[in-house]
Amino acid sequence: MVDFHTYPVLVREMVEGSEEMLRATRDVFQCGNNLQPLEVFHLQMDAGGVDTAVILPIACKRARGVDVFTNAQIADLVRRSGRFVGFASVDPAVKGAAQQLEKDVKQHGLKGVHLLPAMQDFDPHSKEAYEVYEAARAVNTPILFETGMSWAPDVPLEPGRPIHFERVIRDFRDLPIVLAHLGWPWVAEAVALGLKYDNVYLDTSALYHDHPIEFGRFVFNHLIPKTVIERSLRDRVLMGSGYPRMEIKHAIEMLEGAGLNPDAVDAISGENARRLLDL
Amino acid sequence: MHIHTEKIKVLTTADEIAIDITPQVVEVIERSKIKHGHLLVYTTHTSSGLTVTEGIPCLEADMIAFFKKLAPVEADYRHRRYLDFDGRVGFNAEDHLKSILANYQVSFAVEEGKLVKGSRQTIYFLEFDGPLERTVVVQIMGDR
Repeated sequence: MVDFHTYPVLVREMVEGSEEMLRATRDVFQCGNNLQPLEVFHLQMDAGGVDTAVILPIACKRARGVDVFTNAQIADLVRRSGRFVGFASVDPAVKGAAQQLEKDVKQHGLKGVHLLPAMQDFDPHSKEAYEVYEAARAVNTPILFETGMSWAPDVPLEPGRPIHFERVIRDFRDLPIVLAHLGWPWVAEAVALGLKYDNVYLDTSALYHDHPIEFGRFVFNHLIPKTVIERSLRDRVLMGSGYPRMEIKHAIEMLEGAGLNPDAVDAISGENARRLLDL
Repeated sequence: MHIHTEKIKVLTTADEIAIDITPQVVEVIERSKIKHGHLLVYTTHTSSGLTVTEGIPCLEADMIAFFKKLAPVEADYRHRRYLDFDGRVGFNAEDHLKSILANYQVSFAVEEGKLVKGSRQTIYFLEFDGPLERTVVVQIMGDR
C-alpha cells in the first residue's frame, strides 16, 4: 500500500539539534509529539501495511519564517529511507520559483509538487503561480493542493475551498491535480470536481477528526454515497494519512471501516498512487 | 544512600505488544553498583504500561487481548477529538485507559546487587499505541 500524504516533521535525524527545524515542527506545522527515529516512521508504515510513503515539504519561509523541510532535505531523507517518495514544494511568490521547481525535480528525482496557497499565502491564480504549474507540467509531476481543513495555526480555511481550484483544473487539463483531505469539510465540492474533471484526484489524508472508522462511515455514507467512490472515482482516490497528525495505521482502517468494497479499497490504497507516480 | 537513575529506550515494533525489559533493568542495577536498596521502574508515557507476570508468549498475547476487552475500540470516548495543543487527533482513548489499568510502574528489592524477584517474574513494557520509541525510567536507591 502507498500512503500518499505524510510529513517527516518528527524524524529525529532531521530535526533534532536544529532550532530552525524544531521551530518548523513545533510552531509552524504545530506538532507537539516526541521526536522519533526514522526507524519508527518505517515501523508506523509496517503497522499500517504501507510499503511506500510520499513525504511532503512546505516551502513557507516567506510566509511563516521557516520552511517545513526543503526539497534537498526531502531528497536526503528519501535516500536514507529507501521507502519514501519525495515531493517538492516551491513558493510561487518568490522570484524564480518555477525554475527552482524544474531544477529540484530533475536533480533530486522528486515525483510531485506540494502547494498550499493558504499556508504559503499566495494567490493560486497569479501569473507566478501559473508559471509554477507550467513547470510542473514540463517535468511531468502532479500537483498536490492542500484543500479543506488546515490544522496549522493561523492558516485560514476559506482559501482551501476546493471550488477555488476549478480554474486551475480547467486551465491545466493535462496536469494531474490532487485535492488533499477530500476537501473536508467541502467534500461534496471536491467530489464534484473529481466527477467533472478527469485530471482531478482526491486524497483521504487527515479526513477524520474523532475516530477513523466512525468518521469514515460518516463521510462515505452520509456526506457522499460510497457508491460514488466505488463506481465513478475509484481510480482517482488516493489513500493518505496526514502522519503525524494521524497515524498511518488508521488510514486503511478508515477505508475498510467505511464499508467501501474491497476492489475499491485496493485501488485507493495503492494501485492509483503507483499509476499516478509511476512507481 | 545513593540514587542512580537512568532512562532506557524501548523500541516497540507493533501497535500493541508486550516487551520483556527485565534484562535492561538488570543491566541498570549492575551499572548502579548499588548492593542493597529499592528499585523503581516506570514508563514516562500515558498510552503504555508496566507490569509483571510470567514471561511466556501465550501470556503476552493474553495480556494484550485482556486489555482490549476491558477498553474496547467501539465505545463512545470523549477523547476522540482534535487536540489543538498537540496538533494531532486523539483517538486513542482506549489506549490511555489500558495504560491506567495496566499501571505505569513496578518496584522490587535489590540485594547483593541483584534484582530480588521470583523465578517466573518478568518485567513487561506494555505498548498500547505503537510502534514508537518509548522511554522508561529506572531508579535504584540504596547503599553501595
